[in-house]
Amino acid sequence: MLEALEGSMAIAKAVTRCRPEVVAAYPITPQTHIVENISKLVADGQLKTELVSVESEFSAASVVLGAAAAGARAYTASSSQGILLMAEVLFNISGMRIPMVLTCANRAIGAPINIWNDQSDSMAVRDSGWIQIYCADNQEAVDSTIQAYRITERTELPVMVCMDGFVLTHTYEPVDIPDQDLVDSYLPPFEFKRALDPMNPKSLGTMVGPDFFPEIRHSHHQAMVRSMSEIEAADADWQNLTGRQCGGLLSVDGPEDADLGILCIGSAINTLHAAREEHPELRPAKLIKLRCYRPFPAAALCEACRGLKDLVVVERAFSPGLGGIIGTEVRAALAAGDGPMPRIVNYTIGLGGRDIPIELYPQLIESLDSAHDGAFKIFDVELEKLAEEDR
Amino acid sequence: MSSVLTRSGYADPATSLNFKTGSWRTLRPVHKHATAPCHGACPAGEDQQAWLAKIQENDVRAAWETLVNINPMPAITGRVCPHPCETACNRGQLDQPIAIHNLERWLGDEAIANDWPYPNVPAIDSTRPKVAVIGAGPGGLSAAYHLTRRGYRVTILEALTEAGGLLKSAIPMTRLPRDVLDAEISRVLEVGIDLQLRQRLGRDFQIDELGDEYAAVFLGIGCQKSREWSVGGAVPADLHEGLHLLKGWVDHLSMPEAERVVVHGGGNTAVDLCRIMKRKGAAEVTLITASGLPGPDTEPDDVLNVVPRELDEALEEGVVIIPHATIQRLIMRGSRVVGVEMVSLKKLPGKSGRKERIAFEGTERVVATDMVVPCIGEVVDPEGVADLLHGGSYLRARDPFGHLEDHPNVFVGGDARGDRGTVSAAIGDGRLAAAAIDSYLSDTPLPDLTPRPPIPYAGLNLHYYEKKARVPVPKVPPERRTDDLEIEGAVAGAAAIAEAHRCFSCGNCLACDNCWTLCPDNAVIKTAQLASDGSHYLFDYDFCKGCGICATECPCGYIEMIAEP
Amino acid sequence: MTEIKDAQRLEELRRKHGRLAPDLSAAAEPSPNDDVRSRQPRFCGLESGHRACQGCGEALGARLVSETAGPDVMLSNATGCLEVFTTPYPQSAWRVPFVHSLFENAAAVASGMEAALKAKGKRTKVIAQGGDGGTYDIGFQALSGMLERYHNVLYVCYDNEAYMNTGIQRSGSTPHAASTTTSPAGQERMGKRHLKKDLLSIIAAHHVPYAASASVAFPVDVRRKVRRAMDVEGPTFLAIHSPCPLGWGHDGALTIQIARLAVECGLYPMVEFERGEVVSVMPIRDPKPVTEYLKVQNRYRHLFNDKDPRAREEREHLQALADFNIARYNLKGVGEDVMDTDGLDTVRRGGPVQVM
Repeated sequence: MLEALEGSMAIAKAVTRCRPEVVAAYPITPQTHIVENISKLVADGQLKTELVSVESEFSAASVVLGAAAAGARAYTASSSQGILLMAEVLFNISGMRIPMVLTCANRAIGAPINIWNDQSDSMAVRDSGWIQIYCADNQEAVDSTIQAYRITERTELPVMVCMDGFVLTHTYEPVDIPDQDLVDSYLPPFEFKRALDPMNPKSLGTMVGPDFFPEIRHSHHQAMVRSMSEIEAADADWQNLTGRQCGGLLSVDGPEDADLGILCIGSAINTLHAAREEHPELRPAKLIKLRCYRPFPAAALCEACRGLKDLVVVERAFSPGLGGIIGTEVRAALAAGDGPMPRIVNYTIGLGGRDIPIELYPQLIESLDSAHDGAFKIFDVELEKLAEEDR
Repeated sequence: MSSVLTRSGYADPATSLNFKTGSWRTLRPVHKHATAPCHGACPAGEDQQAWLAKIQENDVRAAWETLVNINPMPAITGRVCPHPCETACNRGQLDQPIAIHNLERWLGDEAIANDWPYPNVPAIDSTRPKVAVIGAGPGGLSAAYHLTRRGYRVTILEALTEAGGLLKSAIPMTRLPRDVLDAEISRVLEVGIDLQLRQRLGRDFQIDELGDEYAAVFLGIGCQKSREWSVGGAVPADLHEGLHLLKGWVDHLSMPEAERVVVHGGGNTAVDLCRIMKRKGAAEVTLITASGLPGPDTEPDDVLNVVPRELDEALEEGVVIIPHATIQRLIMRGSRVVGVEMVSLKKLPGKSGRKERIAFEGTERVVATDMVVPCIGEVVDPEGVADLLHGGSYLRARDPFGHLEDHPNVFVGGDARGDRGTVSAAIGDGRLAAAAIDSYLSDTPLPDLTPRPPIPYAGLNLHYYEKKARVPVPKVPPERRTDDLEIEGAVAGAAAIAEAHRCFSCGNCLACDNCWTLCPDNAVIKTAQLASDGSHYLFDYDFCKGCGICATECPCGYIEMIAEP
Repeated sequence: MTEIKDAQRLEELRRKHGRLAPDLSAAAEPSPNDDVRSRQPRFCGLESGHRACQGCGEALGARLVSETAGPDVMLSNATGCLEVFTTPYPQSAWRVPFVHSLFENAAAVASGMEAALKAKGKRTKVIAQGGDGGTYDIGFQALSGMLERYHNVLYVCYDNEAYMNTGIQRSGSTPHAASTTTSPAGQERMGKRHLKKDLLSIIAAHHVPYAASASVAFPVDVRRKVRRAMDVEGPTFLAIHSPCPLGWGHDGALTIQIARLAVECGLYPMVEFERGEVVSVMPIRDPKPVTEYLKVQNRYRHLFNDKDPRAREEREHLQALADFNIARYNLKGVGEDVMDTDGLDTVRRGGPVQVM
């Protein structure tokens, strides 16, 4: 049953359906509404969980680490500076192969301080060993959150569900919150084999020297690579139950014979959809929604890009001094594939919450007339606002 | 590393036990049962710590049994011994020594009162060899007792009409009541010793004649002859020799009267005599002795050899003691003495390195007196043993067991050796001679007398001990002292048990758990069954890193760190 | 009903654990002591075979804590010596569930563990452990949060007064004038310039039910305090003074002696707080001069340079700090007390307690 919910409330309800035993909450815009809503659900008795209102994101991540290590299904959420403050723990959680789900309400990172949306935060921890799933809309965020628990508990890899701050978290959309019975049938109770248990007292987080460290990393990498099939299966099973799917690892939409592709992650894909509909006169384009960013679905990407002459990678973060992050990875993936390389143009758009209007779409297409392969720029930069020497 | 990586590298519990940290060790702790100072100092060879431990367990009878395995006469030695154990007691350096003699006396008295039978006494076996013991003094009684317990048939041949020797003839009742003495001696004899009285060596029998009946002979004949005494050749006409006077007193309460008495010499006989004279009404009794009084400035081998408390009592009673002095000249009026000239002296190392008496010119002074009593000691009466004396004053044994040259089956112990001087030493001699006789008759090796290492005060960890004053002992005040009332009272029951708990247990395991509790490596194992050394602990050398905490924190100095082999 | 269940559970745990090494590799040689080892009359929460230095105070402290706390616990351990020397993969010296996450989050991880147990309706006690670096300094915020949120967790700080695992750097707990590799003594400096942080008072100010200091020199007292803390339903804190032979510069055999001197001179007062109030102290029977404590440690060696007037000044300063502690907590004992610095670890050969 569809109901009009703010994205944050939808997430709170989805989390409730997953029956987390421990939730760690710490406020940060734009994630705050999620923990506020969870707190309210707890206060109202609609969510039975141990809500730990911590004193920092660092402790939030640590609390869920401890809770999950003790065998509890755990949840927390954060944004931006909070994700960075968690960074050390995030690596630790994945390194210890502890299952849990974290919602990242994507936001820019200061300085200068900026509370609005881009994806610099989750990109900054892309090497933390977490699975990262990006959501295009609030329904996807709800469904992905539920799927995330199944993925994490089957793979023992933590999952970060990324949704754009404000754009999704603060937006009311009609959303279906699946019934509890349905979620229960999809998501069995959490049984963590390595859980701390006085009856079987293991020691977690040991000191591992050079004689085993590379093997630890290898197994982690292998687990990430193998988790792609779990991610796809989770989505497929979800589709069987609900009729909805989120797009597995990535999804392609557009004319079969289009030789232009536009790839992006997160909610911007929907802006591109609308813009493409608005501008049927423009060159036909396939829209590639990269849902699963870590593990990076290189094979699926090659398949999706087969036959493209031009590929525009649009992203909401970048690596200063290098350029686009996703664009760089996409180029590397296609270069390693067996097909011919398209021309790849890489744009960062919408940093720090700058709106991505539909009007940008024609400019994007037009830019291909002059862009060379490998071009990168912050597409919506307004150079006239800069002093001459800073342009 | 052959094991398969666990997910994210978790480890199973206690798997570190597969890693033997013992290989890090350069020093290893070992248990070292040292000789406690009391034991080291005891002439009778008692291990006071052992029986104190039984008292601590409230097992008084077991304490007594432990004690009489070494010394069969604790009621007596508890009263007459100068207790070098207490002088040596490490506790004396913290507060006061354990009241060992009082506790020993209590055990002896308890055994008499409850008529506890002596332990480990076998039934008389008529097939076993017979041994003759000459003299029923403390040495002879001890030898007879230990021989009987070793299964030999023993006959004591005693010259006098009753057993006891000097205990009976020369120790005042104020120190050793007769009922106690008689009870303990008769109980010792009851273990199965054949006592034949009025058998004087040389008069009634000869040592050579004993060989027909007895496989070995123990000589506990003591010193029955006073040493000749004169000052520059002068001897007063009415000379009374000290031991003779004392025996007369103990036997029939006779004592010559005098206003001013000078006693010359040292030892218990001299002090006993001084006190008796004083009590009998002498106005001035002066003891002139070459030895020093106990104190920090007096070397241990220079201290007046007397039961310390007896010295205190003598001073309480008004006896004047002039230490480090000797009589240089008798001032005579005709054949009577009217005064003595003294001079200060000290025993100092001479040219040869041996100590010599050095008199200090200019320290001469005169004491007026009516009577001079020499108490300078006694020698062996040569009657019947002239051949064994080889012209000397004593039966010089060649070892602590009492072996005599050229007489493999004759052994000597006690005062007759010339290098003893206490009842306890005689008792110790009797025990060692019994062991030697057993070794001779059974053709087995002599017991090893190598002492365990000593444990000085500095070898203890004093932090774990707290101060506690020595148990107060009741005493008859000087004005109420009589000729036969025992001066020192009893320490018994709860007070005695509490006193036993003051024992440091020097050099021996207290089972305090410190090593077990404080080992960072869990490498001390607690087990009463497997710790064959009497402790309650084993070192787990698989894991012990040799840090030495256990050795530092052992209160008793029972753990030693030695280099890893 | 719960109590009976708990007793059964404990019994089950004891039976389950045995006390033997789970022999994972067939090659492991059985030790002749295995059998008697398995029958020790105490729970070996921290087993032999750990890699602590000889005479490590922290290893002893942790052993005492874990054996007192028993098997029905879970440990959250901060990064540091204790973590490194007890869990070198593939081995662990622990017989209780243990997790090491990071340097600064032991309290937060413990909070999560406790929340999980609460959610599951279990009564297992969570113990967080860390050194002074992980407690006084980098983990302080997480600890404060844990206390404020009133988690049912015992936090134990093994206080060896510097960052020992990284090679003896000064921490907030390092005492004034102590020399460390980041507060070395030299021409211009006499060791650490600042004072030791009074963490216990800060903890107590959280109004927690129980916070205390203890010392490995007084194991009876450590056990009593651990039991007291275990009995409390709520956040409790224990700082255990644990000498580090390497970092303090003393023979490992002297660990206990030095720890005891720290208490006896007044520099490390033994205090118990309940709800912010001092409820008990360990009286010092005969206060020792601080120099007795200082002179046996190389970290204070520069305070005994007769040619340097600052040495005397700093010794007097430390004595004044000790006197301040003694006055502040009224540590000077009156007469003999079974709970004072001499009465607590007596072997009962003298003193006020009569053993019959």
